[in-house]
Amino acid sequence: MISDEALMLEFQGGSRAAFEELFARYRKPLYGFFGRRLNNPERAEDLAQETFLAVIRAASRYEPRALVRTYLYGIALKLLAAERRRLLTSRTFKQSAREPQTDGTPECVLWVRQAMEKLDAPEREILMLREYEQLSYSDIAELLRIPVNTVRSRLFRSRLALKSHLESESRTNPALRAGAGQPHPERRGMQ
Amino acid sequence: MSTNRHPIEQEELMAYLDGELPPHQATEALSHLELCPECQTLAADFRGVSQELMAWEVESPQVGIPSEINAALGEHLQKREAAKVSSPRLENRVMTSFWVWAGALAIVCVAVGLQLTLTSRNRNEDRSTAYPSMASIEQYLMPDRNAEIAMARSAAPEAISSDAKILVLGWRGYETAVAGKNGFVCMVERSWMSPFNSTQFWNPKVRGPLCFNPAAARSILPLTIKRTEMVLAGLSKAQMIHSVKAGFDNKELPAPEPGAMCYMMSRAGYLNDAVGHYVPHLMFYFPLTDKASWGADLPDSPVTLNPQFQGGPEPITEFVIPVGRWSDGTAAPVM
Repeated sequence: MISDEALMLEFQGGSRAAFEELFARYRKPLYGFFGRRLNNPERAEDLAQETFLAVIRAASRYEPRALVRTYLYGIALKLLAAERRRLLTSRTFKQSAREPQTDGTPECVLWVRQAMEKLDAPEREILMLREYEQLSYSDIAELLRIPVNTVRSRLFRSRLALKSHLESESRTNPALRAGAGQPHPERRGMQ
Repeated sequence: MSTNRHPIEQEELMAYLDGELPPHQATEALSHLELCPECQTLAADFRGVSQELMAWEVESPQVGIPSEINAALGEHLQKREAAKVSSPRLENRVMTSFWVWAGALAIVCVAVGLQLTLTSRNRNEDRSTAYPSMASIEQYLMPDRNAEIAMARSAAPEAISSDAKILVLGWRGYETAVAGKNGFVCMVERSWMSPFNSTQFWNPKVRGPLCFNPAAARSILPLTIKRTEMVLAGLSKAQMIHSVKAGFDNKELPAPEPGAMCYMMSRAGYLNDAVGHYVPHLMFYFPLTDKASWGADLPDSPVTLNPQFQGGPEPITEFVIPVGRWSDGTAAPVM
């Protein structure tokens, strides 16, 4: 399989097919990135598209210094930060500041989401980048501009805290836990 | 958990499970984990958390490329084409000088054979499923140290290899068998220097004699050493990929130096099941580069892009150019 970096270079050289392949590889992961952080499917879709539009606009300036994966999530993090700033100052924020949407969401997902919300924001971000975006410690450190050792120690703390929150949820509502933890066949978990 | 009883910290155990420890620490972590019930419980906890998180899936509603992206893509490609037509680019000038050089070199090259062979190699590799996992380490070692030294030297003409440093593979990795004087390093690579997704990755028959020039000895050899250490430490491919990627990210592994290249002119090598000892050739290393800049893989071009690294995960591009003679000066067969 041709690497992301080679595809990016081919796209830079004018290949539409290379871009389409990158789009196919990263459409779902980028939507998931925004979807888990914004609780707003429409905005998640918009911002995933914005990420690809940014890639197209910046194609001529792309240099293969970092992995394409890291490059894309770097753009996504900037768009996310801008979105959060916008939400803080707009009326949309007042509308979306209500309780998270729960209609149709499986209970096991609600349970994980609630436990995640109890984590400190910086630790939650690191945990999500590792578990869902599957970035390496050094990728996360580069994206968040913090030392690798800080990534490791925060990741450690967040995993222990999450375990504790999940156990606490489990004690108060054992029915929720029954459906959780079924691995997705396409995901690679901790080895 | 006290470090008096546990040779690794809890954080290190987590890093090991994430494939983020360097090989020597990973080996230590694995050895300890196999014997320590307390650490096994902690590892199970970490895995449990990871698994619980997988319940939170997000389904993307969109399937094809949205019209806005399609429009932006079309506009971008159109502008690019227009710019290319209206102004001759530096790239063209580079290509012109390249072709002059490549034309002279073509006298000794066997380009068509190379391309056909590489194509055939790739096709055959895809079909082969003979080596799904690592064989015993003994099968990768050469019992006769002198034979390995001779094979390593055979990678380059004697004028180069006779003064080169020679490395041989031992139980713990590559060891210096002969000190060198000219900055070149000759060795016999094993199958784990294939791409990680190659079916030949664990082929114990592979012997790849090569001689790195000084620039490659400084900037490419560390990668060979690292991959070898990780293999001998028993790391999984996923762990190795993570570790190599981290190695480049944190500069533990260097980028290819300008002028980095190696000789692979041995008739004694065995590069994989599809091509055997292959044809004598030279390899040139660069940071990730568009193959068009070397005219690689174009019709009748003697230059081929070797997919050995190419971002998977090493950010290295490698071009191969066949030459017409083996290292002993005898003519190579046209393939």
